[in-house]
Amino acid sequence: MPMIEVQHLTKRYRDRVAVDDLTFQVEAGEILGFLGPNGAGKSTTMKILTGFLPPSEGVVRVGGFDVEAQPLEVKRRIGYLPEMPPLYVEMTVRGYLRFVASLKGLSGSALKAELERVAALMGVTHVMDRVIQNLSKGYKQRVGIAQALLGSPPVLILDEPTEGLDPAQRAELRALIKGLAGKHTVILSTHILPEVTMTCQKVLIIHQGKMAAYDDISQLARIHGQAENASLEEVFIKLTAA
Amino acid sequence: MRTALAIARKELSIYFTTPWAYAVFTAMAALTAFYFMDLLQAFNDVQGVARRVGWAQMSPDFNMYRNLTDGVVVELWGSVLVITLVVTPFLSMRLFAEEKRNRTFELLMTAPVRPIEIVLGKYLGGLGVISATLALTLVFPLLLSALGHSESGLALEWSTVLLGYGALLLWGATCMAVGLFISALTESQMLAAFLTFCVLLAWMLLGQVARRAEEPLRSALSYIACDLQLQGMIKGVLDAQSLVFFASVIGFSLFLTHRTVDAQRWA
Repeated sequence: MPMIEVQHLTKRYRDRVAVDDLTFQVEAGEILGFLGPNGAGKSTTMKILTGFLPPSEGVVRVGGFDVEAQPLEVKRRIGYLPEMPPLYVEMTVRGYLRFVASLKGLSGSALKAELERVAALMGVTHVMDRVIQNLSKGYKQRVGIAQALLGSPPVLILDEPTEGLDPAQRAELRALIKGLAGKHTVILSTHILPEVTMTCQKVLIIHQGKMAAYDDISQLARIHGQAENASLEEVFIKLTAA
Repeated sequence: MRTALAIARKELSIYFTTPWAYAVFTAMAALTAFYFMDLLQAFNDVQGVARRVGWAQMSPDFNMYRNLTDGVVVELWGSVLVITLVVTPFLSMRLFAEEKRNRTFELLMTAPVRPIEIVLGKYLGGLGVISATLALTLVFPLLLSALGHSESGLALEWSTVLLGYGALLLWGATCMAVGLFISALTESQMLAAFLTFCVLLAWMLLGQVARRAEEPLRSALSYIACDLQLQGMIKGVLDAQSLVFFASVIGFSLFLTHRTVDAQRWA
């Protein structure tokens, strides 16, 4: 059974179609790269997957649970990093992570251990007692990702997780996400094409809400590239050219 | 329910780490102190006259000045009622509006938490901060009972004072519930505060309108006017009808808030 199943997903805002008849699935343990130009409908799709927005049409299942019928079961299985990390900037990193962990149902010593684990994983252990608004953009982003990782949910949905990080941190995060494969199912959206080539096995490219391509990276380059070794960038530009 | 408490705790920690709560505390303490001094002065003046001419010669309008409870505390609670109306919007405005503006609403709505737990958690946090604000006003009756005296011994009739304080808490809880609902409607804290203030003020002014209205409109307006509903309790008469009235307003506001939060997903 696929971990994430999306069938004929459509999202309309009044007369504007943001997502148009999207169908795909992600197997457990897979990392899917989610690509598309700005405004293609990536964030909207992710918001529907996490139960923040309802679909206009179509079915979304996560771990076998329908997002509309059993939203709590779905939300329990997803760690989500929205486009803008959802931080309470007045709180300390520790206070914030403790709050998110308690929303996810953790408490007592399990909560404490989970906080330590995630903080170490994201390299924020030494800023735990600082107030979030005084942190650099990179650290804020890390705290945002740490929040998604709390409770080790089987599915991670990360909307442009490398945004605001410097090249070294990017490389670190890529390694981290790669390390999640197998244990977690990950959907990763990004503008940065090499990121996808380096971390994901599969790519979904959407353009104006419609699916433009959905395949293994190697396959994509072979089918759409002019040359055998065409880069993902060429494929992307070719597919999303008006 | 544990998650609701976690949300309430988070709200309180944010209230107490930002200047807002302290600004409101200061305003409440300063304004109440101002009224308190004024009332004490009036009380003293009337007592002075009464000592010269005797109570029998005075107009019955001055009867409330015969003791500190009716002459000062009951009057003071009446002023605190109005101050509460003014300051609560500044406490309630951020409850949802801030979450939506900062996109943290997305975090709450994608966490495994029911909308009802979010609403209750936020309301509990709001109740905590409004109770703390109102607790400051207890200083004044405490001062009176420590320093004042009367013929019967005790300076204050505490049952009346505390029942009046209960009315204040009930009113604060009601203002907070209305403010919570309005905060859920908008992303702008300013707008939420302003609208909440307008709604509460209009509600309080209904009592004035009622006085001038004709029957049967008059009875209907008097029934829904908040200050008339609170009069009895402030004066120390427990009225089950008022309790039910304000509990219904709170319940209805929370219900509307819940519907609004739930409907956000369908916007």
